[in-house]
Amino acid sequence: MTSVPMDHGLLLAGLLFAVGLAGVLVRRNILYVLMSLEIMMNSAALAFVVAGARWSQPDGQIVFIFIVTVAAAEVAVGLALVYQMFKRMKTLDADAASLMRG
Amino acid sequence: MTEAQFVALSPLILVGLAALVVMLAASFKRSNGLALGLTLAGFAASLVSLAWAAKVAPVQVTPLILIDRLALFYLGLVFLTGAAVALLGHGYFEKRAGYRDEFYMLLLMATLGAGVLVATTHFAALFIGLELLTISLYALVGYTRTEPRSLEAGLKYLVLATVSTSFLLFGVALLYAELGTMEFGKMVDLIRQGGHRETLVNGAIALVGIGIGFKLALVPLHMWTPDVYEGAPAPVTAFVATVSKGAMTAVLLRLYLLVGGAIPDSVMTLLSVIAILSMFVGNLLALLQDNVKRILAYSSIAHLGYLLVAFIAGGNFAPEAVTYYLIAYMATSLGTFGMVSVISGREREAEELRDYAGLFWRRPFEAGVFAAMLMSLAGIPLTAGFIGKFYLLAAGVDMGAWVLLGSVVINSALGLFYYLRIVASMYAAETSAKPGAAAREVALLGSATLAALALCLIWLGVFPAGLITLIRSAVLGV
Repeated sequence: MTSVPMDHGLLLAGLLFAVGLAGVLVRRNILYVLMSLEIMMNSAALAFVVAGARWSQPDGQIVFIFIVTVAAAEVAVGLALVYQMFKRMKTLDADAASLMRG
Repeated sequence: MTEAQFVALSPLILVGLAALVVMLAASFKRSNGLALGLTLAGFAASLVSLAWAAKVAPVQVTPLILIDRLALFYLGLVFLTGAAVALLGHGYFEKRAGYRDEFYMLLLMATLGAGVLVATTHFAALFIGLELLTISLYALVGYTRTEPRSLEAGLKYLVLATVSTSFLLFGVALLYAELGTMEFGKMVDLIRQGGHRETLVNGAIALVGIGIGFKLALVPLHMWTPDVYEGAPAPVTAFVATVSKGAMTAVLLRLYLLVGGAIPDSVMTLLSVIAILSMFVGNLLALLQDNVKRILAYSSIAHLGYLLVAFIAGGNFAPEAVTYYLIAYMATSLGTFGMVSVISGREREAEELRDYAGLFWRRPFEAGVFAAMLMSLAGIPLTAGFIGKFYLLAAGVDMGAWVLLGSVVINSALGLFYYLRIVASMYAAETSAKPGAAAREVALLGSATLAALALCLIWLGVFPAGLITLIRSAVLGV
């Protein structure tokens, strides 16, 4: 069985990263922003798995599990904040949350 | 795990344990005082265990964590700051409705994350420490959830910090793909030996730099600072300004010591540009603000610029100069944001410049301490801030970094202007300040903490020798 070359994996991770970043910058709905953040974190996680495969070390997969765990914790806090914001502002538009200027 | 490793880790274990105890205690009895007591007990136990751990140091605990004198010194700094924030938070949240116990639990968790950061020698542990710190901070920044600005600040911080962490992670993944290790020491050695793809490694280091620069709020990654500082509850702002930046500086210092000053000129030039921009952007934008928390936020951007100058121009002095400057900066930031939280009333925080009008006539003690803190930020003689800046300039003159030194001098003058603006408004006659802006009751614990900090600053400004000896033994012993 031929394995996938490392650079292809890294390229895929890089593309996913760019998609996530674009989503964070372009999307106005705060839920989509959170989803785009997940894509960014997970693209880095994928890059770790690819890198770990190159060296045949478990380290890449260990960091992958770290990232997935941390991302879950992050979303838990994020959704709690979004819920509070929705309760008070009745909107999920990120532009509505701009009381502070300067 | 051997006994020595267990002893070396005990400061971190105790802080983690304290977080659990506070959380469990809250489920039996909700009490602001009890939670504060447990938190302080946890910090005290960790600080005592530092002396215990110092006997076995340096100890490498798995490849992830190294407890050496540098780590112990910074752990002490982080724990002391955490305890001071807990004391300030007690008075602040006592005045406000809502649950208070979780504040202490999150504070302990965030401090634990910062503790992991200062002791780490491996990027996996760096990631865990960073996220433990940052995720606790999201919740802390948005803690007063009835206040829309606090929620907004929490969300903004969450989005931007996650983006920056993703950059850092992606950079580390690329480095790992190229080098096959995530340990700081081995990575530096491998990069020195060469034989790998230069562009990939340089790009990866730049990505890691973005992650670190964001935490330190250096220009052009400073955009989040004023909003988060303004929206967060004042004690939390004090924590963000001190512990989170201090821990990242410790990581930077550890990497700096490993690289051993062999940094390419192009990187040095880039860092110089970032330092100069941070100083100018921070100070010039601070001039335009009327909100004290925003003024202090921009001033903290400028101060991190000064700190970077210590890294660049320090030469052999750099570790000492950076650590001294950081301590002076942390003590004064804690003091200034602590003051905002102590004199804030029930309804809202005393954050507008006009809330401070005539403060000296109403509350002379607090106004005097606040003035001393601002003088230290400005770097007036007889304060710790002056010694910090003196260190910086002395190190810079040694290296002949005149452009940087010129910027530091110009910016010190700019800074003086807006610090004095706050001081002048405190001594001005009282205008018709909005009622409820400044508290009538005195938060005893908070005021005592601030008085102790002010004494510390002046003590360090007059007799800096003791601390300098301590710093030398910590940073040069590695």
